[in-house]
Amino acid sequence: MTLLTLESVSRTYGEVKALDGVDLTVAAGELVAVMGPSGSGKSTLLNLAGGLDRPSSGTVAVAGEDLARVRDLAALRRRSVGYVFQELNLIHSLTAVENVMLPRELDGVAARQARQEALAVLDEVGLREQAEAFPDELSGGQRQRVAIARALVGERRLVLADEPTGALDTATGDEILTLLRARADAGAAVLLVTHEPRYAAWADRVIFLRDGRIVDASLLESAR
Amino acid sequence: MSIRHGLLALLSRGPRYGYQLRAEFEACTGATWPLNIGQVYTTLSRAERDGLVEPGETDEQGRVVYRITEAGRAEVGRWFGTPVAPSDRPRDELVIKLAMAVAAHPDALSVIQAQRTATMRTMQELTRAKRQADGDLAHRLVLDSMIFHAEAELRWLDHCEKGLS
Ligand SMILES: Nc1ncnc2c1ncn2[C@@H]1O[C@H](COP(=O)(O)OP(=O)(O)O)[C@@H](O)[C@H]1O
Ligand SMILES: [Mg+2]
Repeated sequence: MTLLTLESVSRTYGEVKALDGVDLTVAAGELVAVMGPSGSGKSTLLNLAGGLDRPSSGTVAVAGEDLARVRDLAALRRRSVGYVFQELNLIHSLTAVENVMLPRELDGVAARQARQEALAVLDEVGLREQAEAFPDELSGGQRQRVAIARALVGERRLVLADEPTGALDTATGDEILTLLRARADAGAAVLLVTHEPRYAAWADRVIFLRDGRIVDASLLESAR
Repeated sequence: MSIRHGLLALLSRGPRYGYQLRAEFEACTGATWPLNIGQVYTTLSRAERDGLVEPGETDEQGRVVYRITEAGRAEVGRWFGTPVAPSDRPRDELVIKLAMAVAAHPDALSVIQAQRTATMRTMQELTRAKRQADGDLAHRLVLDSMIFHAEAELRWLDHCEKGLS
């Protein structure tokens, strides 16, 4: 099942074509990596895919729903889409488990149930013991795992991660990829932006962006 | 093998004498692949036999100028269009191919991209194998070595691309 569809999607900022006629689909169970030099449009692509930004032309659909026609975009985002950014956006006055519960509570889930779901996901990312710790009491890698737990809670089926391995060391980066991979294997669609080939290599498919376009490998394909 | 393809790539820019080909080949590839003039002429006469190049005029000193044929151009196109497979790689072949692409291919970026896609595919396969090689440390370390190798190659390809733009 296709969870994300981009059709001839372009996004311009003034004179800059940040994204230029991109077609992309990501199916349930698939981990797709996006690579490309700085400024090639990777973050723009991810923001459009998650409905955080709107295309100048073309359509973006999540789980078959055209984002331009969705009435309550915020609700669809909270229910279906999980984001992990390089800047974690954790709330420092809340504990790990409270950070993870937040999107579920916003969605109207009762606190008790939201808490149970959050604890289950924290367990999945190996942080059950740290549930009551504040972000400042955690290591960089642990904080990133809290952010990932928050993106995964509530069974969101589309997970978007923009350089989630940021400045983490290799072992911690591998843990993050293990989590994203496991989520894809469990049936989510995961779109991962990274400039590190070793993390992109966890993906089922790797696409390369240059100047807002997906670079094809036609020379390669025609030689096959 | 790539001496033949390297010479054909250089000839695709225009007719050359054997001594010119040797100088240009070495200029492109640096010290990675020194050629002697005998190798150049042997390679050219075999390529002529195979219909990939043809001899032109002879100058006062008896030197022959060579030009590439249509079949020769097609052969260069195929060579650039075929990524080097990791199994049959004398490591230098990729270096030679890229040096030649930068020197003589109209769209060196596409050659780089084709290789990048192929190398990334290799790296994906290695990474999958590593995930499945859970307990076996020796196996994982061998895979790591190949992963690092592929990673270095990808970085180098990025570097080549930056040099072009
Ligand atoms: N909000 C914005 N306003 C103006 N230009 C932008 C904005 N966001 C991105 N851009 C431009 O769009 C291009 C792609 O940016 P981005 O998607 O952030 O690239 P990447 O994530 O690959 O580094 C860049 O040239 C960038 O400067
Ligand atoms: Mg970015």
